[in-house]
Amino acid sequence: MTEQAQNYNLEELMAIIISREVRDFEMIGVGAVSPIPAAGSILAEQLHASHAQIMILGSNEKKYYPFPGGSSELHFLAQRGDLDLFFLSGLQIDRKGNINLHVIGDYEAPRMRLPGAYGSAMLYYMAHRVILFRTEHTTRTFIEKVDFITAPGATPANVHREGGPTLVVTPKAILAWDQLSQEWILESVHPGSSLEDVKANTGFPLKVAASLKMTPFPSDQELFTLRTIVRDKLKSIYPEFAQKKIRSAL
Amino acid sequence: MVQAGSMGLPFISVRGLLGSDILKHRPDLRVAENPFNPGEEVVIAQPIRPDVAVFHALKADCWGNAVTPGLRDDLMMARAAKWVIVTTEEVSDRELTPRDAFDQTFLPAIDVDGVVHLPSGAHPASCGNRYSIDDAHLKEYLEASKEERIFKSYLDKYVHSASD
Repeated sequence: MTEQAQNYNLEELMAIIISREVRDFEMIGVGAVSPIPAAGSILAEQLHASHAQIMILGSNEKKYYPFPGGSSELHFLAQRGDLDLFFLSGLQIDRKGNINLHVIGDYEAPRMRLPGAYGSAMLYYMAHRVILFRTEHTTRTFIEKVDFITAPGATPANVHREGGPTLVVTPKAILAWDQLSQEWILESVHPGSSLEDVKANTGFPLKVAASLKMTPFPSDQELFTLRTIVRDKLKSIYPEFAQKKIRSAL
Repeated sequence: MVQAGSMGLPFISVRGLLGSDILKHRPDLRVAENPFNPGEEVVIAQPIRPDVAVFHALKADCWGNAVTPGLRDDLMMARAAKWVIVTTEEVSDRELTPRDAFDQTFLPAIDVDGVVHLPSGAHPASCGNRYSIDDAHLKEYLEASKEERIFKSYLDKYVHSASD
């Protein structure tokens, strides 16, 4: 292993892990305040998904913002069932795949009020796959039950749903959604963490996949592409993130 | 939803959202049976019709045609509102057409009720390529907004005593 591959930060690692999940020819939506998925999607486009259509809210580039009528076009694209992949986060994510982007504590007297997210409750249903990302893997994030269900993991009877939770990417691990048991399963542990570490920092009993593996290190090619082309493309959308979180390889 | 308001619909349906706690707190979102697919539940949303919508334009003419920065949902929002005011960096002395918008958003005069010449009107937010966000001012605003008393002095300084 080269020295370069061992030196990366958590944002770079998470972007690289996300890029490996992006498939060629997909229609990919990246929402507001999502620099890590934006970086991951563009990295995938550079490495193995050159035919993907990436749509980044907030971008001024036609290529990544093909919406002459505004961002409501992404809403209707998803409503039509044409969105393959979307990324969401949650201040809290629970055992049953519910995410919370609204309040911490009681709704009427919250300890913390967040921006909320109507779009998440729609996109969690309508994107074919949703990858959750969270830059913190702790027992306050991964809890038994969220304080407020912004978007539900489970679907009530008689409701049309295109897709839903697929993976959670954290600084420690990848959790995969098990459709059968409607629960998260630990799929992969990142270098630097361990099964015990992940379990201790998850606030609910975590099932472990029989095929549990270690997340492969970022390759030299992944890191170099991220730190050159991707970093450059990110500058106009997420200037601060590109400058501070992605190291320059030039 | 604003979309329903812009189209003059009595309501609009939207997929998803079922099982979200949002529905407990939003009386304008209801669950109904899809009349075209008996048994299926969908969310229906009440239209939003704002009394007034205000847009800041890069340029506008005296008929009300305007070019607003970026590619946004401004036209939808303008159509949803009952009264539309455009403030503008620049007043054009000739009639503007969609060609003037290039890759910006065009608001046609038919959807605009009034134009106000107001250079720097988007400050402290940004206005296309003309000026970017005033970070220092926004930080000052955030600080001031924490306390009623300080916010009053902020308003006195920037709003009440502002001259042309």
